[in-house]
Order: sequence, then structure tokens, then C-alpha cells
Amino acid sequence: MNRRVSRRDFLHLAGTLGGSTAVYRAAMGIGLLPVAARAARPLLTASGKSRKVLVLGAGISGLTAAYELSKRGYDVQVLEASFRAGGRNMTVRHGSRIDETGYPQVCNFDDDPDLYFNCGPARIPGHHVNLLGYCKELEVELEPFINDNRNAWVQDDAMFGGKPIRAREYLSDTRGFVAELMAKSINKEAISGPMTPDDWDRLREYLKQFGELDPQFRYIGTSRAGLARHDYTAPEVLKAPLSPSELLKSKFMLIMSFGETDDQAAMMMEPVGGMDRVVAGFMRKIGPLVQLESQVQRIRVLPQGVEVTYRRDGQYVTTKADYVLNCIPMHLLAGIEHNFPAEYVAGFTAIPRGKLFKIGFQMKERFWEREGIYGGISWTLQDIQQIWYPAHGIHRKKGVVLGAYTFDAVAGEKFARLPPAERFKLAIAQGAKIHPDYASHVESGVSIAWHQMNHMLGCAAQWDDALFKQWFAKLQAPVGNHYLIGDQVSYHPGWQEGAIASAHHAIADIDARVAAAGTQVVRS
Amino acid sequence: MKKLLAACAAIVVLSLLADSARAGNSFDYCLLCHGANGNGNYGIRAPKISGMETWYLARQLGNFASGARGTPADDAAGHEMGPVGVRLERENIVDDAVRFIASLEPRRPSATVKGDVARGRKLYGACTACHGTKGEGNATLQAPALAARSDWYLVTQLHNYQRGLRGADERDAYGAQMRAVAATLPDDQAVNDVVAFINSL
Repeated sequence: MNRRVSRRDFLHLAGTLGGSTAVYRAAMGIGLLPVAARAARPLLTASGKSRKVLVLGAGISGLTAAYELSKRGYDVQVLEASFRAGGRNMTVRHGSRIDETGYPQVCNFDDDPDLYFNCGPARIPGHHVNLLGYCKELEVELEPFINDNRNAWVQDDAMFGGKPIRAREYLSDTRGFVAELMAKSINKEAISGPMTPDDWDRLREYLKQFGELDPQFRYIGTSRAGLARHDYTAPEVLKAPLSPSELLKSKFMLIMSFGETDDQAAMMMEPVGGMDRVVAGFMRKIGPLVQLESQVQRIRVLPQGVEVTYRRDGQYVTTKADYVLNCIPMHLLAGIEHNFPAEYVAGFTAIPRGKLFKIGFQMKERFWEREGIYGGISWTLQDIQQIWYPAHGIHRKKGVVLGAYTFDAVAGEKFARLPPAERFKLAIAQGAKIHPDYASHVESGVSIAWHQMNHMLGCAAQWDDALFKQWFAKLQAPVGNHYLIGDQVSYHPGWQEGAIASAHHAIADIDARVAAAGTQVVRS
Repeated sequence: MKKLLAACAAIVVLSLLADSARAGNSFDYCLLCHGANGNGNYGIRAPKISGMETWYLARQLGNFASGARGTPADDAAGHEMGPVGVRLERENIVDDAVRFIASLEPRRPSATVKGDVARGRKLYGACTACHGTKGEGNATLQAPALAARSDWYLVTQLHNYQRGLRGADERDAYGAQMRAVAATLPDDQAVNDVVAFINSL
């Protein structure tokens, strides 16, 4: 059985990752800002002239490797099993095919530049320097992506009878409550050690600011939670704080810091017109090197070089190269014929495949903007987990909303086993708990069950610490002249930056080997 | 201008249809899950299908298509196969798929299940009437061969029969027979033992 990451596990993880909470920081008196490491693209020095490289898979890692190596003169060919390049970097718009094994779909969104849906990666943080570097070089125009919107909704059947509240209410009222509680309960005498009276005063001031407490250190509400009305001809009226016991009933506390994590905090970006503009950028440079609809069936590592057999138009074709860079998902590699060592192959089946699932809905009206929501994410503890609102095309008539994005395998499988129309029905029923007239706005939908997508059968590899320790070095190391690449062989699976890092790692190694071999041709 | 747009739209639709027909008629996507030459992929729990009897393949694809198999909530692998069966039937290409699978080159899979072969031999006595003493199967009785299949898959299916994830649907009469026999295996070890014996055939 696959190791299943339950929602609770995920939420706990998300809470842990994002969870150096402000209260903790206040108590400890720390607040360090990590500095993004600036990873440089490897400088390739050797000439690739008269050396052939096969890249298996035209995902982001494969395209990166092909682009860089072709610049150095290598004879590069990319074999891609699908009818399209990009791998999980996939944007659908009017007429796009969604190649799910059992439920093939065609996207019926209107033909409009703002009506698209990013099925895979959808946002880029500012420290993903390699991806951003390629965006710049390939002239992929970027615009802000809104991840965190305090005006968006939080909905959980466990609190307030399932009635949604604004994210700003949850965050402000829980912080106010916690700050007041802490200010009242910290006993100066009980804290021994280096805390001076000045430290004490500063901590109390911090708590006051943290929760926006009144001079008596009481939380009586704050404009951070939103005003009761926005009539600027009349005095401001604060909302009454929500019941803390009710707020604390929700497991939303485990994801409330999502938008503060390293990869998710503002300022985030997205390509104008869809994430697949990155793929289009690469294809403008190396499109002729990419051969589609070529499904690899066999890999044989030779004493020098690698032999690859693939199927194209129902025929088997065999070809040889000096080096192979392979981003075929490991769980699919496990099923092809090969002569890899057993301890390498065992890793292919040891890392569970992700089963993430997404739905996109074309809405005939941007009703969320009437609710004061411009971009961002509403969170729910239901299966759909999230609703995303587009930050592009503001105030236009229509928009494409993300209607479900599940992280855990159980919810993913629950949706995936339904036909698309049933998936939409379930997502609409759940979305209606956030927006009561949700159903009336839906014009058409798309659904992406990554573990049932042709040539993928999985989302990001589900590594954990124990698996990294046992398998990562083995899978990252080349077998002869065969290199496994992709976000699956990075410490950042599920992100394009991880895919690029793995490609850079492999091509730097090849460069060093080619340089060491001098002018000697290693081709078999 | 309007006519031109309509013509363009028609071309787009036609080319989409052509694409989807091509995807449907190319059975390479069987190999996507079931591996090169259909010899199975444990990585996604897809069994070896090459060398399976054509009548057995057709019946099981029919079961997946009708929902007689692959629908119980706990059968995650069945959920992935179910829609494929539906699609093959909808596109009326079940026979083509079976022919394609019959054209593949079967390989004997490596043994992965460990068990007590001697005990398995005794337990296998209940299987011989239908599946044969050599696990060769019996077309008359509609019992498929068991030798040289993915052994981990035999274990999974025996458990599925025992748990009612397979053979519980009234449309699956042969599955019901198998379910009754699987229920006679007393524990997990017995399942492993009998499969270990099948590996020795």
C-alpha cells in the first residue's frame, strides 16, 4: 500500500513548517529573517560537440537540461511520451485536452486570455532564483500572484455551525485573545534569568501590538478584523470579537500560517497568461529538439553510453546516446525494461506518488469581487480544501476560480474515482458553504486527478526524512551515464525550482566528466 | 467573416476528435500503467497483463466497465482501472485492446512473495479443480492461469475476495465462486503460502 498522508498529517506538517508563531517568537524574544540563498546556474565549460544526449521527458527539468546542454553544442534529443511538452507544468484554456486515462476531457472555457487554469504549479516565490532567471531569459512576463487575502473566507463545519468567517476575523480575534491571555498570565517573578524590567515592559508592549490590546491589556476588537461597516460619513464601528472557544474548535489553526511559509509568503508571482508560458519560452528555444508521443519502453546502460527504446506510432524505435537525463516519474520507470542495479530500482517503488487533485471552474460572473475579494484563497476543512480567486482580469465579466485543491491522498482518491460531472457536483456543493449562490455562477469545469493523468500517474513524489536518508543519494547518483532528474530527485519536490536544481546538478556532473575526458569521444 | 470563423471552429473540433481517436486507438496507455510489454508495474500496483487469456481479459474489462469490479470504496487500484474499462467500452474498442495485449511479449515476473511452499502445496489443493495442478488455468471453467502472474497481485486479489472488494457484486458470478474459495484460506500467512507455491509452478 502507498503511505497515505492524511489531511491531519498534512495540516500538522503545514502548521509545523509555518508555525514559529508570533507568540512563541515574542516569548523567546527572537524573530530572525532567513535570507534566501542565491543559487547560481552551473557554468558549463566543456564543449558538447559530437556528444549525443537523450533527455527522457519534456518536463521542466528535461527542458532545462536540453536548453543548457544544447547551448554548449551537445546533440540533444528530448523524447516526450505525451502529446504535449511541460509535464506537470500544465495550463488549460479553451479547447485544451486533458489526457486523463479513464476520463479524457476537453476544456470548454471561453476563448479568452484571462480564462485559463494552472493544473500544476501556479505560483512562484521570489527566492526561486533559477526559475525566475529562466523567466527573465525566456521573456516570460510575470505578474503578482495573491496567495494570502485577509478578506477571503475561512469555513469549517466545526465552528459557528459551518458559517464562513473572514480570514481577518479568525486571525485577528485569535491573536487578540492569545495576546490578552498571555499579558494577563505572565508572572514577572516566575520568569527567572536574563529578563530585565525593560525586557518585561517591551514584551508587554509587543503583546499589546500583537493582539491590538487596549491600555488595560484587554482585547475588545480591532479594525484588523474588519469594520462592522464601511460608511465613512459615520464613526467607525468595530466588529465584536468572535467567541474564542468557537474559533479554537477549528483545525484551521493548523493551516492559518500557510501564507507565511518560506515558499508561500508574499510576494508571489505567476506568468501572465498561464504557467505554461514557461514551457512555451523553453520551446521557442529548443522546440525542434523535442519529439512528442514517444513513450520509453526500455533503457539499457551500456559500458559507454545508454541505449533507449521507445514506442512511436505503434512501432518500437531504438536509439543510443552518450548520456541520458531521465525525468520519467520513478513509479513509471519501475514498469519499463532496464538493466539498472537492483538497489537503484528498489528506490523507484519506495517513494510514494502524490495524489493531488484540482478543479477549475469558469464563473460567468466575478461574484467574489462583490464580496470584496480580489485574488487569494478561501480555506475550508471540507474535501475541496481551497477556493482560489484570480488576481488577473479584475473587474472583467468572467473569471476562472480554483474550486478544489486537495493535498492528501484520501480526498484525492475520493474525487478521482468519480466521473468529472460528479466531481464538479461535489465541489460545487462544498463551495456553496462558502458562497451560497456558488452553483448558479458555474459555467464549465475542468478536473485534474494527477495520479490518473496519462504519462504521469502521480503528482510530486512523497518523500519524508527517512526516505531521503535511505534513497536520495542513491537515486541522485548516475548509473553509468544515466541520470535521474526532475523535482522527484530534489529536496524540493512539487516545485519547478526543485526540478531545475536537479537538472543543474546533473548537467554540472556531465560537464565535469566531459571536461575530464578532454577531446576524447566517449560515444559507444 | 462569420463563415470563416465557423469553418475554423469546425477544423479545431475535427482535429480534436482526430486526436482523441488516436489516443483511444493507440493502446500504449495500457503500457503506461502495466509496464513495458504489459509485464506489470509494482510501482503503481498495476499487475502483469501480458499472457492473460483473451476471454479472461474481455470479461474483466467488462466487469470494470459495468462497475461489477473496481467500485468498492477501499479498492484504490480498482478505482484507477474502472474508468479505463468504461472508456474502452464506450469507444467500442475492448476487443482491440484485448488483441493488443495478446500481441505483447510476456516475461516471467520475479518472485516477491515469501511463504511456506510445502504448506502452500496443501492449500493449493482447493484450487486445482479449476486452475489446474500446474496453475495453467481452464478455459472451459473460465478459470485463468495463475502461474507466472504478478505474485503480489495474486495476494492482493485473494485479500480483495476475502474482504468483499471483489466477487461481491451479483453480476460477477465467477468472482463469487472465487470469493467462496478465498474465504477458506484461514489467515494472511495462508495467502502468502499458497502464492509462494504458485510461484514454484
